[in-house]
Amino acid sequence: MYFYQDPQFGERMITLMAAFVLVLQIAMVAQRWLVTNIRVFAAQSFLLASIAGTIAYYNHAPHIYIAAAMTFAVKVVFLPILMERLVAKIEIRQEIEPLINVPLSVLISGGLTMVGYVVAESFYHPEAGTTPATLGHNTLAVAISLFLIGFFMMINRRKALTQVLALLSLENGLFLAAISLTYGMPLIVEVGVFFDVLVATMVMGILVYRISETFDSMDVSKLRRLRG
Amino acid sequence: MVLAALLVIPLLAAVAAFVARRRVEMEWINLVAAVLTLTFAVVLAGSTLQSGSVSAWGGLLYADALSALVVLLVSIVYAACAVYAVGYFRDDETNGVFDEDSDGVPAVDRLRKYYSLTPLFVCLMLLVPLSNNLGIMWVAIEGTTLASVFLVTFYGRPNSLEAAWKYAMIGGVGLSMGLFGTVLTYYSASLVMGTETLVGLNWSVLVTKAAQFDKTTMRLAFIFILMGYGTKAGIAPMHTWKPDVYSEAPVPVAAMLAAALLNCALYGLLRFFILTSRCLGPEFASQLLIIFGLLSMAVAVPFILVQKSFRRLLAYSSIDHGGIMVLGLAFGGPLGALGMLLHMTFHSITKPLLFFCAGNVQQHLKTDQFRQAKGGLIHAMPITGAVFLLTTLAVTGSPPFSLFQSEFTILRAAFDGHHILPAVLFVGFLVMIFAGFLIHIARLVLGEDPGTPHAQISDWKKYSLIGLGAVVVILGFWLPAPLFALVQSAARIVREVH
Repeated sequence: MYFYQDPQFGERMITLMAAFVLVLQIAMVAQRWLVTNIRVFAAQSFLLASIAGTIAYYNHAPHIYIAAAMTFAVKVVFLPILMERLVAKIEIRQEIEPLINVPLSVLISGGLTMVGYVVAESFYHPEAGTTPATLGHNTLAVAISLFLIGFFMMINRRKALTQVLALLSLENGLFLAAISLTYGMPLIVEVGVFFDVLVATMVMGILVYRISETFDSMDVSKLRRLRG
Repeated sequence: MVLAALLVIPLLAAVAAFVARRRVEMEWINLVAAVLTLTFAVVLAGSTLQSGSVSAWGGLLYADALSALVVLLVSIVYAACAVYAVGYFRDDETNGVFDEDSDGVPAVDRLRKYYSLTPLFVCLMLLVPLSNNLGIMWVAIEGTTLASVFLVTFYGRPNSLEAAWKYAMIGGVGLSMGLFGTVLTYYSASLVMGTETLVGLNWSVLVTKAAQFDKTTMRLAFIFILMGYGTKAGIAPMHTWKPDVYSEAPVPVAAMLAAALLNCALYGLLRFFILTSRCLGPEFASQLLIIFGLLSMAVAVPFILVQKSFRRLLAYSSIDHGGIMVLGLAFGGPLGALGMLLHMTFHSITKPLLFFCAGNVQQHLKTDQFRQAKGGLIHAMPITGAVFLLTTLAVTGSPPFSLFQSEFTILRAAFDGHHILPAVLFVGFLVMIFAGFLIHIARLVLGEDPGTPHAQISDWKKYSLIGLGAVVVILGFWLPAPLFALVQSAARIVREVH
């Protein structure tokens, strides 16, 4: 038996990759440049696809391979290319300008990670033994932290495109939660969700483009005419 | 067969309208599709009344009385809007709305956007109640947002871009919470049913085993679902996109969002409410819903009282009605679900009419501000003015109109369940909203003639107004027995404990 066939090894690999996913999420909070942000997102999605692939290999679940392949095609290749083109096309200033400064944002993200761990703890019943998902609750904790930090990024950012990125990374957290809790949703649901994410990003991309043309800016804090 | 037809017809209409060349063709495609959809919806309602539930495509599509009711309401709203839209957009064209911002897009191409996206939007709205799988239902609800974003930006004004952006972002964040709730439900169910089963999220399977689900997870799942689908339904405090979108979208789109999409979002909430109450008992979900329902009504009150624009007024009315329906569900008991579903039915028929009246006024005066409208509209637009006043009375729940009956049923459910304080607040909010609404609309419609020229209203608009107005009046006195039977058996699905 080779060392990589040992399920223990697989579990450690998954935990390691999940940790990197979290690190990349916090890197995204700390990042100042838009294009780098898109690439960090692509790297994070790549790790996510690898996690899905690893789970599929060790659990002999072929349908997760499909989810992994879709993650790779959509979130690692297609969407980052689409967004980088958009950035080039609208020639905006490349800096992100968060509302809360970077050190404090990173601190808040750390706090949210702790909340993620506390919530994940409530799902962990080692004594029950019936749980199909024996994946470490570490992965789930990372998923919930990703979700929470994604929310925080949405509030913390002014530029329309960075909000879309935050929404996508939040969605990454959901994907991780789904595969760590239940080894993914039924395939047809998974396909539907991917299709929605793809279309949603394109729709928002078009909106971002038209907003930047109409308002000469991507700063959504300028969108404040409708009140009351 | 019926289930597939309901989805295929609007989809085909979307494709056909996309390749159509002339405006008249697009209009007729839409009208025919609306009539066919309505026919099949009635057939579906009939067969669920007879046989309980229908399924197709290997259990992927499923309909019981609850789904059939929502399908029927969506198709009624679609049909009403299809008729009104013809007149509305023709008047827009005569008024030169499409020439003003000369960004080189011909009117036909703009109309093509409307006539091809609307059937697609309807197709996705129908998929929500027809899908058996709760994951597919989520996909469909998210799809409705995506299909309608570009309907909101129809006029291409900066304000409509702003509204569409809020709609897409708030909807996107909200629905991601809904997805998380769905994942958690799947997890909580997988402890009973095992993973890797294709039916693991199928409603027809889940509902029979809900009592055995993991309770901690289900509790968390319902909170996420409430936030998620609550955002889509515009329940406070996730309602902020509604006034912007309802005032910037073209009137037929706004009417469909307010009267049809609201039902779909509440339908999603209902399905999970049923699972949660079977799993945890009714108290947990009810308490949450009472808080959010009362909050929605409370938020609507001040904004209705001081509102400056009549289009935004309608949006706050929609937030208020969302709150009323949620409250009906929360009060429970034998009457709660019945009151909620009756309210949903009556609201779906009355609300579009209110939007049509507001649309007529806005097209004639070229403004949606009360101050610029000056009042005395009854002189310039006798039919619209009269119907506007009548619908205002209907929508604020004054007797003898039908919404009074459903609100009264909900109130009785509250007293039956000994929710005294919520019941008192409920009545208080209703009275304040009634007063605010009536003052605004009475000032707009009645009064001396300010000398605005007499309005030329196209026949399509006029007949959709009179036709739907007649239905609203008749419903106040006579509810057809089959419709009531459908509502009753839908309410039984909500209440029944296995």
